[in-house]
Amino acid sequence: MSSGSSRSANSGQKLKRSFNSIQSNSTNNSNTSVNNNKKNKKSNQKTLGVAWGSNSLSSSRSSFRNSPFSDFGSYMVEKNRKLQNQFDAEASSSSYSASTSGRPIFQGVSIFVDGFTVPSSQELRGYMLKYGGRFENYFSRHRVTHIICSNLPDSKIKNLRSFSGGLPVVKPAWVLDSVAANKLLSWVPYQLDQLANNQPKLSYFFALKRCHFSEDASIPTFYQAKPETVDSSLNNGSSKNADLSEQGGSVQHEWQIRVEIEDPVVAVMNEKMTEQQSSFTGKSCEVDTLEPSNADAEIESCVKDELQSRTHEPSPSISSYCVENRDMKGSMSSKKSHSTLGDPNFVENYFKSSRLHFIGTWRHRYRKRFPSCSEFKCTSSSLKVPSDAQRTAIFHVDMDCFFVSVIIRNHPELQDKPVAICHSDSVKGTAEISSANYPARDYGVKAGMFVRDAKALCPHLVICPYNFEAYEEVADQFYNILHKHCTRVQAVSCDEAFLDVTYLEVEDPEILASKIRKEIFETTGCTASTGIAGNMLMARLATRTAKPNGQCYIPPQRVDDYLHHLPIKALPGIGHVLEEKLRKQNIRTCGQLRMISKDSLQKDFGVKTGEMLWNYSRGIDNRQVGLIQESKSIGAEVNWGVRFRDLKDSHHFLLNLCKEVSLRLQGCGVQGRNFTLKVPVATDDVEVLQRITKQLFGSFHFDVKDIRGIGLQVSKLENADPNKQGIERNTLKSWLTSTSASTEEKSNISRMSEGGTDAIQLSVQMDLNLSTGQDSLNQVSAVPPLCDLDVGVIENLPPELFSELNGIYGGKLFDLITKNRDKSDNISSYSSNPPHELEGALNEGRGSLFSELVNLNEELVAMKAQQCAVEEVPAVPVLGAGLFNEAIPNLVRDKIDLMPSSLSQVDTSVLQQLPEPLRADILELLPAHRRQAFSSNATLGPSENLQESMGTKIPENPAGSIDAVGNNNLWVGNPPLWVDKFKASNFLILNMLADIYHKYGSTGNLSQILQHTVSVTVHPPDASSDGWDEAIDNLCELLRQYIKLNIEVDIEEIYVCFRLLRRIMAKSEFFLEVYNTVIPYLQTSVGQNYGGRMHVTS
Amino acid sequence: MERSEVQSPQGETARILVEFLEVAVTSIVFLKEVYPAGAFERRRYMNVVVQRARHPELREYIHSAVNGLLPFIQKGQVERVAVIFFNADNIPVERYIFKLMFNQSYGSKVEEGELEFSLRSFLTKLLVSQSLSKVLPNGCRWEITAYFRSLPQVDTSKDAEFWIPTNTQQWQQPPLITPIKSMNSDPLNVQLYLEHPSFSETKS
Repeated sequence: MSSGSSRSANSGQKLKRSFNSIQSNSTNNSNTSVNNNKKNKKSNQKTLGVAWGSNSLSSSRSSFRNSPFSDFGSYMVEKNRKLQNQFDAEASSSSYSASTSGRPIFQGVSIFVDGFTVPSSQELRGYMLKYGGRFENYFSRHRVTHIICSNLPDSKIKNLRSFSGGLPVVKPAWVLDSVAANKLLSWVPYQLDQLANNQPKLSYFFALKRCHFSEDASIPTFYQAKPETVDSSLNNGSSKNADLSEQGGSVQHEWQIRVEIEDPVVAVMNEKMTEQQSSFTGKSCEVDTLEPSNADAEIESCVKDELQSRTHEPSPSISSYCVENRDMKGSMSSKKSHSTLGDPNFVENYFKSSRLHFIGTWRHRYRKRFPSCSEFKCTSSSLKVPSDAQRTAIFHVDMDCFFVSVIIRNHPELQDKPVAICHSDSVKGTAEISSANYPARDYGVKAGMFVRDAKALCPHLVICPYNFEAYEEVADQFYNILHKHCTRVQAVSCDEAFLDVTYLEVEDPEILASKIRKEIFETTGCTASTGIAGNMLMARLATRTAKPNGQCYIPPQRVDDYLHHLPIKALPGIGHVLEEKLRKQNIRTCGQLRMISKDSLQKDFGVKTGEMLWNYSRGIDNRQVGLIQESKSIGAEVNWGVRFRDLKDSHHFLLNLCKEVSLRLQGCGVQGRNFTLKVPVATDDVEVLQRITKQLFGSFHFDVKDIRGIGLQVSKLENADPNKQGIERNTLKSWLTSTSASTEEKSNISRMSEGGTDAIQLSVQMDLNLSTGQDSLNQVSAVPPLCDLDVGVIENLPPELFSELNGIYGGKLFDLITKNRDKSDNISSYSSNPPHELEGALNEGRGSLFSELVNLNEELVAMKAQQCAVEEVPAVPVLGAGLFNEAIPNLVRDKIDLMPSSLSQVDTSVLQQLPEPLRADILELLPAHRRQAFSSNATLGPSENLQESMGTKIPENPAGSIDAVGNNNLWVGNPPLWVDKFKASNFLILNMLADIYHKYGSTGNLSQILQHTVSVTVHPPDASSDGWDEAIDNLCELLRQYIKLNIEVDIEEIYVCFRLLRRIMAKSEFFLEVYNTVIPYLQTSVGQNYGGRMHVTS
Repeated sequence: MERSEVQSPQGETARILVEFLEVAVTSIVFLKEVYPAGAFERRRYMNVVVQRARHPELREYIHSAVNGLLPFIQKGQVERVAVIFFNADNIPVERYIFKLMFNQSYGSKVEEGELEFSLRSFLTKLLVSQSLSKVLPNGCRWEITAYFRSLPQVDTSKDAEFWIPTNTQQWQQPPLITPIKSMNSDPLNVQLYLEHPSFSETKS
């Protein structure tokens, strides 16, 4: 391709183009390119996102018609390439670069202009040509670095990501200002207003990425101008970065300088001027030698200026100096380590500069400092009885805007000026303010506000950085004073504490409070406010009134008045959501809140919140000073600036994170046994999500490039005791001792801990399974085979663990135990199949009851046998039929199949031999009215009982026993008597019913059985067949008894049964007859109980 | 089922029951479309979407009527609570009956969660029971009537004042009963069923 021709074409049209819109321009270009490049049909250059915007489409269509390109895509590729060449040629041509000695400030920047701009896109293109940038006619995520536009349509705002591909969208003024300043300015302040709250810090990464990209593109000049020193500082001298663009480069220059400056800046805050001055000049010299380039010289000179101004007029310049430096620091911190990519110590630095981290870890430091005190407090408060509520005096001491006042205490001239604390920032930046002093608050500056907004409210707001050393120092002083005056101190935060001065029995707490406050001020130079009241809640509220720098005493008699007009928002624990909810109910003050009953509060807001609201609105707070909440979990999380190139990066990062967490754990003196790894992945694509999730759960081979944050959390904390060796073992052991004080054979314990560990592991996996529904990752291999299990150990496992394990083994574990017991105990032989049934019951979730029994199975073996016997022959009257009839409905309803339905069926001698707590448990499980039965039974004496129990155990022929029992108890027992009876019957339908019971109806509801009967095709037997009448009688009797049983308590069930019957009888003559026989009985019963007739429809 | 009136009242259970009744009665009135749907607003009760009357008087009527029953329910005196719909001629056309049995001798503490679980299924069933009931004629009215096991003595409680002894209108024939839901969760047994006049009566 001849670049000459295209250049001439361009120059020929130059005049015209500047007046034309982009459309005509592109059409021209495309025409030339088409004419010139028919032979270059195929190109190996790949372009994504070829066409963008309507103009390109219209132009392409016209040319496409007569072009030989295979498709639109290849055409656009070619076109883009031509445009690029054109641009390059133009840029190197004399008309631009040579004549106007433009510094290549836009190197590496490639803009795309969207829509109407002032200056026009052509002028911008001109600037780009002149100052080493690039100009793209068509949008491409890979070539464009900045999108320039003045206005965006709504649809593009909403779909910003798809529109911009995550690239910065900047106002054209950025280009102009950069040209005017003769250096590349940060685009952040020029971000399009409509998108202002976008995360600006991502820009860095894009810039960096872009640079790597531009390696491929042929960019001719200027790169060698890069100072190498810069690169080594950030990227360990990786040669790739030699090609860093000007933008990336300048960022790093600045950083370099600022790193140098940083120390002195800190020093400035605390040390004397002269010292610092000299060190400063020294530093700037270093800077000088290090970075000889233009931009750096500028910065350096500005530093020097700063210094000079400081030397000339020391005191008044401080604030401005602070601002300046902070600016620099701010922009530094917004641009520096930024990612796990660049900074090997990222994790450390991340936490070093985090205020939340400071506050979060402060408590541990505090604990270490005052360990004895906190111990003492705990015990003392637990021993203390709140005897006289009237006389308790609680202080709530809170430093006034701690984070600010610590900083400005050495700067009296800032005292009355609005000052805010913020980890970074340039004047226009979007960092959040974390604390503001009272003058600033008067302007409406609040914590959590963007610096930009705060500046808008208060233009002369002074912004200071954190000084964590100073905070720590002041916090320590603060607590020293508090502990000096009072031993019962509960630390809330580094600047806030509760004191219980009741025991001091001071005459006037206000005097003590002012004494403490005075001392705090004299020692730390910061003011504190104190609230005094009868409890912690009121003290805290009083502080609210006391602030700033005051104290407030709310005596008990004034509590009501104080609260009456207090807006509910002021109560701790009431946030936006709760406030909003209450406001909907027209509750704005505590007085209004008090009108609502506790019940309805609890109903509306939950038990705890409701109670809290009720109490707080009355000024009731039963918390004791000194009760420090134990941390439940300790973790560290980084979810900003995490970028990985490969797996190694992520491993490195995780290692650091582990170190951090382990430090914190050690700091608190605890260990944990539940670990949570949190990996937020930034994606909005369902497919990506699914893929990541699958991989995550499968093998943890996720795509590290997508990870945007990693958290490691340790929960279920417990005190680390150096005496004990392993975490798991020691916890299990302690846990076991706490649960069951019984059987602790040494040999068992080790096995147990093994099993326990497995269980824990497995429970985790089970959770995973639940959440993903994937079975594949269940590492069953971790479970020891069933035969390896020591039955004794398993039986001694606590119920929770047992049921978990049992679940893992699919219920086989239980089988094993049952078998084992079968072998070991010869007292009774099961004639039917109780293990099967019991297992079913267990799987139904009633296992806990059983496993409780299993836990103490040795004593219970006899009793279990008893139970089984009872289940088989439940109705043998022992204490008389009266008791039984009473027990019947209960039995049916209670469905405690695993327990004997009545104590009368329990061998009392066995029961009496049980240990006391177990006996109590069993008695507890039985309904109340049976207890008397037991007590009366127990008086009979063991020998008699033994006889009785022998009687129950005698295996009777079921069929025979039915007759003996009589017709009244068809629904007694589990399975109910009728099942056996029907099974024994030679009538087909009755057999079927019994079968259905065994298959489905274990809940004992007839409706369920009938439901299944409906779906079964009944082969209608002949009316003359054997036992027809008898079968009808039997079934009718069954139904009658069922009606009798349920008519009072559950007509719904009866109703359902009869509706089902009606359906079945349409198919079966047998059921028709049954129905017709029973319905009069039903209607009479309904009439007796409800005064009407049941309206049965099928 | 035996029931002793002597035992200490299960205030908690009664309270839950009364609250449930209030919601259930409102739901019935809503379902019967006595008032335009706009007169109700969606609320959440025990995690079930229910309706709540918007009009303060309607709300107050239901609330006070049901809450007035609280002392009697506690004593186990209330046998049935009926929501009766009358046609323009003041003849009842449909009655929703809550049959209550309150086992006063139930000793242990009531599991509120358990109770709520049962009551919740109740509400769910009620909400889909519309097909069982009849469309009301125009110009109908409705009232809440409670049937007591015994007439209460003059009560000290203020709430009780809302309740006045009355004679109920009976159908000539025993009504047709359509059970809607039964709930049996110790110590509380609640059954809800519909009563319609028997066919013969409607024809005549």
